[in-house]
Amino acid sequence: MRKISMMVGALALGIAVVAQAAAPTDTVEARKKNFKDIAGALKATNNSFKSGTPDAALIKANAAIVASYADKIPSWFPAGTAVGVGKSEAKPVIWTDKAGFAKAAGDFSVAAKGFKAAADSGDLAATSAALAKLGGTCKGCHDTFRQKD
Amino acid sequence: MTSPAKTIIRLWDLPVRLFHWGTVLLVPAMWATYKAGKLDLHIKLGLALLFIVAFRIAWGFLGSQTARFASFVKGPGAIAAYLRSGRGPDGLPVVGHNPLGALSVLGLIGLLAVQIGLGLFASDTDATASGPLNYWIGSALADTLTELHEVGFNLILLLVAVHLGAIIYYAVAKKDRLVPAMVTGKKAYDAPVAQPKSAPLWRLALALALAGALTWWAANGGHFVPPPPSPYDASY
Repeated sequence: MRKISMMVGALALGIAVVAQAAAPTDTVEARKKNFKDIAGALKATNNSFKSGTPDAALIKANAAIVASYADKIPSWFPAGTAVGVGKSEAKPVIWTDKAGFAKAAGDFSVAAKGFKAAADSGDLAATSAALAKLGGTCKGCHDTFRQKD
Repeated sequence: MTSPAKTIIRLWDLPVRLFHWGTVLLVPAMWATYKAGKLDLHIKLGLALLFIVAFRIAWGFLGSQTARFASFVKGPGAIAAYLRSGRGPDGLPVVGHNPLGALSVLGLIGLLAVQIGLGLFASDTDATASGPLNYWIGSALADTLTELHEVGFNLILLLVAVHLGAIIYYAVAKKDRLVPAMVTGKKAYDAPVAQPKSAPLWRLALALALAGALTWWAANGGHFVPPPPSPYDASY
């Protein structure tokens, strides 16, 4: 048992080291993939609403995807991954206005969890309102911290 | 020596001219609204462009003689013959689009149609503005079509440059000014060319109705009868 937990520990440490050592361009790519995941889940939800016959189960599943990223955004922005690294669109202001960025990420986190709670409740009108609010936090952060391509 | 008698004909009908100058206004407006970030207006103007391009395609089957694709789209043999003689097979000047220019017409109209079609599915990065059919597709495909929509504009620019180059070439090298006829509809020829046949009004009504129906359908997100307003105003 002890041996296993040591092995797990060593493995975790190894992963942590690998993560630390990840090339900045890989970090940028992984980050973009995560954001695309979020955007895809939001779009699937929005599409379902716009179809006129929203699918509560589909919306619930996609809300869970978005919520799974709720608290992760700040960890995707290590120093040295700003515009100029790979296809990064992260403005340097992310690292100079740390409080502002943390607040924007926090707003997203709260809205993402609210969105999931609404979707779980099955109340589509509340879910729709929560989605609109969540979308506002995406745009709010992007307007300040993302470089327009 | 008296100058030879001129034959003046009605070359381009009013719908063809309105379509032409409509694109001259709308295509730069599409670019300007995109650059200014006014995507809601961009989408509205795009639907106006959809209407006139759809009309022009319908008019290419229903319209007056010089408007019809069947009257001016020719094979490579006719193009080669035109390049050699600068005239039609009967030895008279070509009335309407010549066989080479036909390619430019098809290219421009076809490219505009593809570009408008892509725009119906496109969306900006945060989906704050989306084409009316964007909700049909997932975000990965929407991203791809949006990128193609951006590439499409560069291809249009290229064809417009060729189009303008050809107009200048005809004016300078062949002393044939093409623009006045596209304004007035009339053109004078040194040779006894025949007056092209015009189209009856009911065909105009039919082409307008077809283009209007398509535009209405697209603008309503792919519905001829708009669905009741959704209780979910979920655009994020």
